[in-house]
Amino acid sequence: MPSGALNWVGSVLAVTAKDIRSEFRTRYALNAILMFALVTLTVISFGLGLLNPSKEILAALFWIILFFAAMSGLAHAFVREEESGTSLVLKLSCPGTVVFFGKMIFNLILLGVLAILIVPLFIILLKIIPADWGIFLLALIPGIIGLAGATTIVAAVVSQATVKGALFTVLSFPILLPLLVAVIEITEVAFLGGTWDEIKAPLQLLIAYDVVMTTLSVMLFDFVWRQ
Amino acid sequence: MVWKILLFLVMTAVIIGAFVTASPMNPAISVGSPDAYRIFYFHVPQAWVASLSFLVAMYYSIRYLQTRRMAFDIRAAAANRLGLFFAVIATVTGSIFAKMTWGEFWNWSEIREVSIFLLMVIYGAYFALRSAVADPDKRASLSAVTSILFAMAAIFLIFVLPRMYAEFSQHPSDSVVDEEGQITMGRTVALIFFSSLAAFTALYVWMYRLTIRVDETGHNRTLEGD
Repeated sequence: MPSGALNWVGSVLAVTAKDIRSEFRTRYALNAILMFALVTLTVISFGLGLLNPSKEILAALFWIILFFAAMSGLAHAFVREEESGTSLVLKLSCPGTVVFFGKMIFNLILLGVLAILIVPLFIILLKIIPADWGIFLLALIPGIIGLAGATTIVAAVVSQATVKGALFTVLSFPILLPLLVAVIEITEVAFLGGTWDEIKAPLQLLIAYDVVMTTLSVMLFDFVWRQ
Repeated sequence: MVWKILLFLVMTAVIIGAFVTASPMNPAISVGSPDAYRIFYFHVPQAWVASLSFLVAMYYSIRYLQTRRMAFDIRAAAANRLGLFFAVIATVTGSIFAKMTWGEFWNWSEIREVSIFLLMVIYGAYFALRSAVADPDKRASLSAVTSILFAMAAIFLIFVLPRMYAEFSQHPSDSVVDEEGQITMGRTVALIFFSSLAAFTALYVWMYRLTIRVDETGHNRTLEGD
């Protein structure tokens, strides 16, 4: 049913568009994420001062900034629905998978904006240029997809709880640990300028993680969404 | 009652046996004081029970999502609580052994230490979530979903990652079975080790049943509005 599939994609994008519109009214998540990333980056850059950190350390720092910046705002996609009391209408108007993918794409866009801002600043402030941009993007893009895929369902879980902010980080960390290990490994290779053979194993892990985690999240989403 | 007395006798025999027989260390592949290796009889069963508990919790989380019966949620929570307890004990004993033998309490490049740490973080996060949701039905399904996500991440970290980075572990992996799956321990060592494994598992089952009884009583009292 091509028209059915098209319809489905249309509904997903409608959810994303709705989120983008309401995000632009308050800019809460965007501000939180961008400012958090900026502040962390500045603190690290100041803190390091004249020290000359190795490229391995910079690779880890890059993902630590991205991880915590993501933690500061990604939960908002679902928390907003609960706070403004609109989640019930959303539950009635479209199936769970549509909501899930709509929110996931929204989070993906947020992370994309974050990456576009943070990568140049990181290069300028910490004086490092990836030796191999191709490998760097192979860490960044699947890394962001995995980050959005795995945290969207955690955001849905957290939006039902009482202490949302801290809980989101606590719950996301164990889930994201395998992803972080893999992306830091690939980013190290990108900064040092290694061969493609070196990133084969972590890249396989990363892509497997993205696929498995997103699929699992879709399967479990209805249990969280339809109470 | 009989099996409790039996458990007491086996546990006592294991404790005495672990200290009066020769050390289980294999000098060909291991370093350090042979006496330190006696911890093998207690540390490995503790880590085993902690991992077993994780699987039990997983099983009951899935069962809960299938049936929505509160009894399964209580079981999953009880398994997680005991798992946390045994994971902490296994980490402390392992850490002391690591200091004596390898010189450091903690080493991040050691995959078993990373995985037991992850196990503790997961148990901790699970209870952080439970304490943050007031409604029992909501709490049950949210924690079940999170448990399953955690399990998948743990599978990646514990089973997939070490296969990709070959030289990741200092643990003598051939201490229990060799590559063909044959038991390589001497007869005395094997006897004490497997008795200890059985005793710890029985102890776990006992503690688990007690925990469930306490929790179910508490749950029923809340239902009665007491």
